[in-house]
Formats: sequence, C-alpha cells, structure tokens
Amino acid sequence: MDKDKVQISISKELYDKALKFIKEQGGFNSVEELVEFLLREVLTEEERVELSKEDEEKIKERLRALGYI
Amino acid sequence: MVRRVFILGLDSLPPYVLYEGHDGGGFKYLRSIVEDSARYLLESCHPPITVPAWIVMFTGKTPGELGIYGFRHRRVGMFDYYIINSNYIKYPAIWDEAGKKGLWVGIYGVPPTYPPKPVHGFMVTDFTTPDPNKTYTFPPWLKRELENVSGPTIFDVTYRSEDKDGVARDIRRMINNHLTQVTYLLKRKKWDLFIYVEIGIDRVHHAFWKYFDRRHPRFVEHPEYSKVIPEVYRHIDEWFSSVHNNLLKDSIIIIASDHGVKPMIGAFTINQWLIDEGYLKLKVNTQELRPGTDLREDMIDWEHTIAWGWGGYYSRIFINLKGREKYGVVSEKEYESIIYSLRRDIENIKGPKGDKWYNRVYKPHELYPEVRGDAPDLMVYLDDLNWRPAGTLGWQSRYLPENDRGPDDAMHDWMGVLSIYDPEGTIPRGDLGVMKIGNVRNVIEELLFGRK
Repeated sequence: MDKDKVQISISKELYDKALKFIKEQGGFNSVEELVEFLLREVLTEEERVELSKEDEEKIKERLRALGYI
Repeated sequence: MVRRVFILGLDSLPPYVLYEGHDGGGFKYLRSIVEDSARYLLESCHPPITVPAWIVMFTGKTPGELGIYGFRHRRVGMFDYYIINSNYIKYPAIWDEAGKKGLWVGIYGVPPTYPPKPVHGFMVTDFTTPDPNKTYTFPPWLKRELENVSGPTIFDVTYRSEDKDGVARDIRRMINNHLTQVTYLLKRKKWDLFIYVEIGIDRVHHAFWKYFDRRHPRFVEHPEYSKVIPEVYRHIDEWFSSVHNNLLKDSIIIIASDHGVKPMIGAFTINQWLIDEGYLKLKVNTQELRPGTDLREDMIDWEHTIAWGWGGYYSRIFINLKGREKYGVVSEKEYESIIYSLRRDIENIKGPKGDKWYNRVYKPHELYPEVRGDAPDLMVYLDDLNWRPAGTLGWQSRYLPENDRGPDDAMHDWMGVLSIYDPEGTIPRGDLGVMKIGNVRNVIEELLFGRK
C-alpha cells in the first residue's frame, strides 16, 4: 500500500451502494476515488475562501459589464 | 407529515407587475396563484441588491451580520476590491437546517452559491460561477447529467448592449436552459424544499424596462422591444403552469423577489462631485479623462484626499483615515466631523434643475445590529434609488442621462414581492402588509417544520 494512504473500513452495505452508484453515474474509477473526493470536498471547505485570481478576474469583468460595479 | 415547499424566485420582480397587474398579460397563471395566496410586500435589505438580498432572505441574517454589502468589498488599507463567493457566508441557510433534519433540498441559481457546498440533496450554482468548466453542482456529477439534458449551462447574459435583438435572444435562451434543467430536477430528484432563482427576470428588466413601463421618463413604444418583457413573463408563466399541474400540485408555492425595479432617471457622478466639493483630490485633470474612466489608486492625490467613493446601485464612501488607510490623512478626532459634513453635503445634492432629492446617507452601524466584514464608512442612496451613483470620471456633467457602464433602463427598488400559496387552504389569503426580507427564513422554516 502507498505510504501516504491509510486503510479504513466501511459497511459492506454502503460499499455496495457506492459501487452501484459509480457504475450508474460514472465520474469515478473506484469507490476509493469517490470516498476521497467526498471527504476532501467536505473537509477542505475552510481553506477555500479565495477563488483563483483568474476566476476572480472573470467574475469582476462580468459584474462590471452587468453594472453591479 | 412534511409538506413540500417550492420557491420560485424571480429576481427584481416588483409589486407593480405581480400584484398590480402591469405584466403585459404575461403572468396569467402565476397571478391566479397569487390571487389565492397570502400576499406581502417584501421589504428588501440595505442595500437592495441581488447580493446580499437573496442570502439575507435564506439565512435570516442582516448584511451587517453576514459582512456582505454587495458583490465587491474593500479590505481596509487596500484600494482594490475582492469579490465575495459562497465561502464568505458563515451562517447556515434554511436549506442547511432542513438538510440536518433529514429533508431533501434542491437549490438552483441562488446567489451567491458558487462554489457549491455539500447539501442534503443537490445544488446548482448561480451567475457568479466563473465558467461552465468549473464544478458548479453538488454532487459534482450532477453537472454532467444536466448538460446531457440541456446542453451547456448558461449562467448569465451581457445585457448592456445596443444589440437589443441579440440581448432578447440571449435572455430567452438562458431562461429556456434553466427551465429545462429545473424541470429535469423536479421530475427526477427527491426534494422537500426546492428553491429556484431566475436571474433572467432581472436582466430583461434592466435591458428593456423603458420599452415596457409607461412611467419611464424615456419610455419608447417599440413594435418588438415592448413585447420582450411580457414574452419572458409568459414563457415562465407557461412553464410554471405545466410543472405546477404535473409535479407541484401538493406543494406549498412561494413566489418571491429580492427587491423591486423602477425606471432609472439618470446617473450622478459621485466621485466628480466629491472632487468638486473638495473631498477628493486627483493628480490628473478630470477634463482630460475619457468619459467612463475608472478611478484608480495612482490618480489620487492621497495627501489631500478626505474621501472617495464607489458607484453602482448605491454608493459606498470611504474615508481616508490615518492609521487605517495606506496614505490616511483624516485623524480619529476629525472622523466624525467629516462624516457629519459628508452626510450634510450629500443630503443636499439636488437634481439637474435644482429639484430636491430624497438622498439617504447611513453609517452601517445605523442599519445593522452588528457590522462585520469590510463595511464602508457611509452607504448612500440618491433620490430614493431613482438615480444611480456613477463612480467613473471624465464626464462633462454631474448628471448623466444613462448608466455610466452602458445601456441600462432600470434601477432597483425597495419593495419586492412574497406570496405564499397552500393548495390545502391553510394559509390566509389576501394582502397582509409588509414583510422584511430577513423574516422570510423563519416563515419557510415554519412551513416546513412547524405545521401539522
């Protein structure tokens, strides 16, 4: 196993549901990928206060064109 | 048993249209629902702008508590501004509370929800999304589902254009894109609370109001453009009639707007006024500037500047305070007397013919129980929102016939709409007065949880 990874256990029921989900929805290659994605989304919320400079410039330009600025 | 609640948010829809019937015949079905509803005048917040108004509605917090006074904000000591996004909202919205109690929620187009946060259900972000390549849904794969149904998501249009035919076409296309997606979500997803905010109503108002509202000082009866707003209304009305009869028959229906709309009489060059009154000093000659030039940090003679301003639907004034600003010159002792002078002078600003204006000037602490985030020193509304404050320079006159940013027929107004319809008849019908936008969240909560 990759030194940067740890093993966790989840219920078989949940695992089977996740497997069925990714087969139907696509977008993820494995249940591990899905779990990592979801956890990352939830837990890194606090870090995401600022958008990238490029994204912010896009929004500024749009807001200027809309007259909000 | 939990009753389902569907909220149709029509940005900037005024009582003049929905309650008083000036809809050009566009809202036949919606008005029949409204007829059987509890109807309120919805008093928007300070400032009555899309951001923060919708999020005030759904959190129940004032802009001061949220620390959100518009789309952009300035950190003290900085001249440039940053744009807020959903990560700046530090209070739970009604959909967060509903989700915690096990209800399924669907949130579509509510500003500002980009980047999307996890919800117990699904979310599609709003026009503050930088571009459609971003992850703009929760769950993230919902984006692909929607694009399979409707094609790429259209978040917004550019309406400040002389190409009115193009603007009308773009608005219709955007609204159609949203309606297709919302219909799909209503049919395919589980939800107990669904909130759909349509920004296209605001865009069509700004682009075509002078062709629609006979009260507009520049009203023009046009064979095509006078039909655009009623046709957009009709498009939404026919869609709603269909989804209401097929999918929403049991649901409580709320129709809401975040603020109203009215004719823009003109724009007033607030920074040029500050220069003329001696509050703002530039290193450049404003007469040599191209009309519509933005005020830049390097233009300002900071040593001799007391205050500068921002334009928009309202004006924010910033004091060049020593110890707070990079080149501050106003001492703490002088601060209040400067505020007093500015307030007095702004309140005395008159119209182009010397006509009296109802100008309102506020310190944020006068408006909110708490003032968080990056608030301005003063918030200014010119002639009760009839005139738009223009922050740009290089104009020959203080009074501009139009918006300094391009074609725009409308300003916002204080009153929007809130109507609540229960097919089971448990909600009293009729005109029930004014509801403050910050109280709507509790009403939704009561509808979801407090009723048996």
